[in-house]
Amino acid sequence: MSAFAFNREPLDPAALAAGLADVAAGGYASFEGWVRNENEGREVQRLDYEAFEELALKEGERIVAEAVERFGVRGARCVHRLGELALGELAVWVGVSSGHRAEAFAACRYIIDEVKHRVPIWKKEHYLDGDSGWVNCERCAEAAHSHAHGHAQPHAHEAGGHAHAGPPAFDYSRQMALREVGAAGQRRLAGASVVVVGAGGLGCPVLSYLAGAGVGTLHVVDADTVDPSNLHRQPLFSLADTGRPKAEVAAERLSALNPGIRVQPHVTRFSADNAAQLVALGELVVDCSDNFATKFRVNDAAVLADKPAVLASVYQYEGQLQVVRPDADGSCLRCLWPEATRDGLVGNCAESGVLGPVPAVLGGLQAMEVLKLLLGLPGQLRDEVLVLDLLSLEQRRLRAPRCGECRGGTCRRIAGLAPEPEEDLELALELGEAIAGGYEIIDVREFDEAARDPLGWDGARLWPVAKLLAEAPGDLDPARRYLVLCSHGVRSLAAAQHLRAAGIAAAYSLAGGLRRQSRRAAGG
Amino acid sequence: MPRLRLKYYALLREQAGCSEEQVETAASDAASLYGELAARHGFSLPREQLKVAVNTEFADWSRVLADGDEVVFIPPVAGG
Repeated sequence: MSAFAFNREPLDPAALAAGLADVAAGGYASFEGWVRNENEGREVQRLDYEAFEELALKEGERIVAEAVERFGVRGARCVHRLGELALGELAVWVGVSSGHRAEAFAACRYIIDEVKHRVPIWKKEHYLDGDSGWVNCERCAEAAHSHAHGHAQPHAHEAGGHAHAGPPAFDYSRQMALREVGAAGQRRLAGASVVVVGAGGLGCPVLSYLAGAGVGTLHVVDADTVDPSNLHRQPLFSLADTGRPKAEVAAERLSALNPGIRVQPHVTRFSADNAAQLVALGELVVDCSDNFATKFRVNDAAVLADKPAVLASVYQYEGQLQVVRPDADGSCLRCLWPEATRDGLVGNCAESGVLGPVPAVLGGLQAMEVLKLLLGLPGQLRDEVLVLDLLSLEQRRLRAPRCGECRGGTCRRIAGLAPEPEEDLELALELGEAIAGGYEIIDVREFDEAARDPLGWDGARLWPVAKLLAEAPGDLDPARRYLVLCSHGVRSLAAAQHLRAAGIAAAYSLAGGLRRQSRRAAGG
Repeated sequence: MPRLRLKYYALLREQAGCSEEQVETAASDAASLYGELAARHGFSLPREQLKVAVNTEFADWSRVLADGDEVVFIPPVAGG
């Protein structure tokens, strides 16, 4: 017999009291809560009780155990009704047996007060006028409950130090108060598992809000480490985290935010080798990555696994949002972009800049779409791309119908998961060493960039990336070695990949770009 | 000549130096309109790398444009 229980059938106080029978007890006190015909001036006809049972049982048992320990009573139990109750019915029963009456009364009072405050139970009142509404017991009303309570109640526990044994329980009441969420929705979220690829500007809000919503399991996939340049848009991290893996730091912060969920860090790239495995861990996947190769890989893996994917991207002051629904015959990223877009053509956050709230807004929208999917809420984005301009505050929903290639839940444009680019594509060199080592240098920055920030060495070929991608290999010699560079190493990587594909076997990208160079070739 | 409302995003917005404009054009379809604009604004993205939407629906490049159409050019973006 557990100390705290729910019951869908009417309660029998005599039988419940008998359960506490104890010849060593000199006193027994009980409390009964009944369904009353009025609340805040409105006539109530009947009511429904719902609970987030898994959490409620744990919290209820904790409260009874606290009462037993604090007041030294011999036995205590609480049973709460669930389901539909008529006027006058017994909604909650508390019984305490004890050596003396004072402790019995105090423990009984303690249990019912704490249950009302801490246990996630909701009641829906049906009024005589035909209307109804969810009433949030008392949990909603008092954020500062334990403090106020500790001073106001006669059984205040100052003597024993802090009011509660452990930290307070996570409180979902504000979202459970929503008609569409309720206890059933909360249970649904607790049972859900979501894979989030990328713990950056988009990932931080997505992860924070999903953790806050009580999504039971979050998988955080990111190979990157925290860099001070991330912090303006990635509020899960702090300066002191510099150099630590983002997935691990994020998991720590999210577990502290909500200890009731499981957060699993995966310090790895979302690669062709592990994409299928990682996507299998969740019922849906959220793309918060910062490059096209990963975005297409997330799309492809989700389509192959027949799971929804919520994708977003940002650029400076803008963002795009798309929800891929292979499980519901919706369009996918390749319906829109049949040929995977190459990285390097359009700038990323490092090269083009981004204002912190831009990924915050788009990540917030992603979290919203995830919750809509998990809870079956209306208005889900599907077969559309949302394009947001946060400067003009204009938004457009552009219809992106399923392409003719998508049949039977898979897209024929997805042959399999794209293989990794060659491992040895990047070189971490000083420019001077590369020149001395016989590499021909190709600068794929734009003309104005190169003019603003010259290499200080005129032996390089200036070939802006878009032109290179359109024209290469041109007159390049397959027998020579080429080092491609740009400011951050993103465009140059795409260009080097392209050159390899075009038959230039010894094309390399300068790792980290010019930004990582300690000095310029001729500058010394 | 049809009068069109144009809207640019991302890199195209930067290169055009504005997020929207109105044009009168002799271009017969979306592809030739982009060709015209690319020459005027120095767009670096090849047409194959972006999308065009006409009146809130993604369209083919062969889409014939009519007076009053809103034409939106959208490059893919990858920032995160």
